[in-house]
Amino acid sequence: MDRRLLLAAPALLLAHRAVAQTAAPAPVPANLQSGPAFHRFALGEWEVMTLFDGFVRRANALEGLVVNQAAPAVQAALDAALLPAQGLPNPYTVTMLRTPRGVVAFDAGTGAGQLAPGTGLLPRSMEAAGIRPEEVTLVVVSHFHGDHITGLTTRDNQPFFPNAEVAVPAAEWAWWSEEGNRTRTPEFQRGNFANVARRFAPLRQRMREFAADGEVAPGIRAIATPGHTPGHSAFHIGNGTAGCYVTADAAGRPELFLRNPGWHSVFDFDGPLATQSRNALFGRIADERARLCAYHFTFPGTGFVTRAGHGFHFVPADWNA
Amino acid sequence: MTPNRRQVFAGSAAIAAAMALPVQAQQAPAAPPANPGFYRFRLGGLTVIQVHDGINRRPVEGFVRNAPLPEVQAALTARMQPADTLTIPFTLTFVETPTGLVVFDAGTGEGQMSPTSGRMGANMRAAGLDPAQVRAVIVSHFHGDHIIGLTNAAGERAFPNAEVVVPAAEWAWWSDEGNAARTPEGQRGNFANTARRFAPWRERMRQLADGAEAWPGIRAIAAPGHTPGHTCYHVADGSEQLLYLADVTNRPEVMMPNPGWQIVFDMDGDAAAATRRRMLDRAASDRLRVTGYHLPFPAQGMVAREGEGFRFVPGDWTGI
Repeated sequence: MDRRLLLAAPALLLAHRAVAQTAAPAPVPANLQSGPAFHRFALGEWEVMTLFDGFVRRANALEGLVVNQAAPAVQAALDAALLPAQGLPNPYTVTMLRTPRGVVAFDAGTGAGQLAPGTGLLPRSMEAAGIRPEEVTLVVVSHFHGDHITGLTTRDNQPFFPNAEVAVPAAEWAWWSEEGNRTRTPEFQRGNFANVARRFAPLRQRMREFAADGEVAPGIRAIATPGHTPGHSAFHIGNGTAGCYVTADAAGRPELFLRNPGWHSVFDFDGPLATQSRNALFGRIADERARLCAYHFTFPGTGFVTRAGHGFHFVPADWNA
Repeated sequence: MTPNRRQVFAGSAAIAAAMALPVQAQQAPAAPPANPGFYRFRLGGLTVIQVHDGINRRPVEGFVRNAPLPEVQAALTARMQPADTLTIPFTLTFVETPTGLVVFDAGTGEGQMSPTSGRMGANMRAAGLDPAQVRAVIVSHFHGDHIIGLTNAAGERAFPNAEVVVPAAEWAWWSDEGNAARTPEGQRGNFANTARRFAPWRERMRQLADGAEAWPGIRAIAAPGHTPGHTCYHVADGSEQLLYLADVTNRPEVMMPNPGWQIVFDMDGDAAAATRRRMLDRAASDRLRVTGYHLPFPAQGMVAREGEGFRFVPGDWTGI
C-alpha cells in the first residue's frame, strides 16, 4: 500500500486500529490508575475539560533549565515551592472545549507512545472522559514544539483526530515551514522543522492559519504571545459572560517562570520577548481575576493567578465535584 | 410497588450486605460525580488514596471569631476565594497497608448531611475501593462531618468489616452528657450524634491514648483544641512519612497564613491555635507530606513557612 492509498482510506485504517485494540487491550498505565485523568468545569453553556497527558522528570532542574539564572537562584525558588531539584516533574495537560458544534482541542498532546515514557496518555484520558477522537472538529495549535503537535498524528503518521480541522498561528507556520529560518533557530530546536513537515503532511488539506489576535472560531480568540516560539499563541474562550484563558506555554512551571517572569526557559526561543509576552498575558489574567488552563502546570492545570512581587502566584481552582 | 420508608429500613440489612447498593436505595440514586474525585500516591511501600466527599457552603461572616470580617474577606480575596461564601471541602485519606485498608474518619454519610456532600461512596467506587475492604476507621474527632458516615441512613455500620479506633480523650468527652454544660451550645448536638453513630460499633471500638499505635505504622498525636480529644495521625513506612492533619486547619487560605485565627468550630480557640502552630511548624520543619480533611482536593501537599504563618503547597499530580 503506498502512501496515497493510505491517505485515501483513513476509515479503513481506523477500523483496523479498533480491531487491534480489541484483540490486545493495553494495560492501564499506572499514571491513569492514580486518578481520574480528566477534569471538567462549566463555562457558560459550554464545558471545558483538562486532560492528563502524563509527565516526565528532569534529571537536574538546576542545570540548563533556566538559562539566565545561576543554580543557587533556581534552587532557592524550588525550595520555596517545596519542589525537588532532582527529578522535577514537567507535566502535560491538554485543554478541550465541548460546544454544540463539536469538541475543540487546544494542542494535540505528545502522541501515544511517541515521546518519552510516562507521556502519551491523552487517548486514554479522552476515553475516560468520554471523548472520542471523531468528535473533535477543531484542533487549535498554540505553537509547534513536539510535545504540542506530535499527537496530531499517530505513530504511522495518520491524523489522530479524523474529523478535525487544524488551525495554526500564521506566524508559527511561516517560521517552521521555511527551512531557510534554520540558521536563525537555536540549534536544539532545529528538529522542529522536520517534525512540522511530518506532522502536517497528512493535514495540509484541512489546515488553516489564523492571524495574531484574530478570531480562531466563534468564541475563541488568539492572543499573540511570541517569544517561546516566533508565533506562539495563547487563547481566550468566551461564552456569554463566562471566559477562560488557555495560556499554553506562555509560562512553564509556575513555581519558576510565573514567580519570576524574567527567567528564560531553555525552551524559550527568544527569552526577552517571551518575558514580555508572559508579563502582558498573566498581568491581564490577574487583573481580570480570570480562570486559566495551562499546559505545564500540575494536573488538572487550571486556576487563577495573583500578583506576587515582580511576578505571579498560581492558585489552583477548587476541584469541581 | 414502592416500599415505604419503614419497609426499606427493615430490609436494610440485606441491602447493606450487598453493599453495592448503599443508602441511596431509599432515594433517587445520586448522579455520578461530574469529576470523580480520587487520587493515589505512594508513601514508601504504602499506597495512599485521597477520596473526595464533596463540599459544604456557609457564610464567611461568623466563621472566624477573633478577626474582623474585612480582614478575613481580604485573606480570601487575595487567594481567589469568594468573600461572601466559604466552600468547605471534605476529603478522606485511605491507606493501603500490608495489614489491610484503613481510613481516617468516616465521611459525611451518603445523603445524610447535605446535598453537596456524601460523595465518598461514589468516589470510592470510581477508585475501585469497597467499604467492605476497610479494616479500621481511625477517627480524628467527633464532629458530625467526620463521624456521620460511620453509619448509613438505616443506622448500620457503613464499613461492615472494620473496627473503629477513637481517641480516648474524645470518647471521654462526648460519651458523657455531664460535659454538656461545659460545651459550646452550638456543639451540644454532638452528644446525641456520638451516641447514635457509635451505637452499632460498641463491640468493635478501640480507644487510643496519645502516642499509641492506631494501626501498624500509624500513631496518634494529640492535637486538642478544635475538640477536647482532636487527634492527628502520623503514618510512616521506613523514612517516608505522612501527617494526617484532620481539622488542625480548615481551608488553608484562611487558616495557614493566620494560625492564630480561631474558627466557629474550634471548641477551645486558644488551645486550637496553639496546636495549629505546633503541628504546622512540625510539618514545615520536617518537610512532611500532609493530608487534611478540609484542604482542597486532592488535599495532599506540604506546608511552607510564610511571614508569621504558613502556606499550603499542593502536591504535584504525579500519582503512583
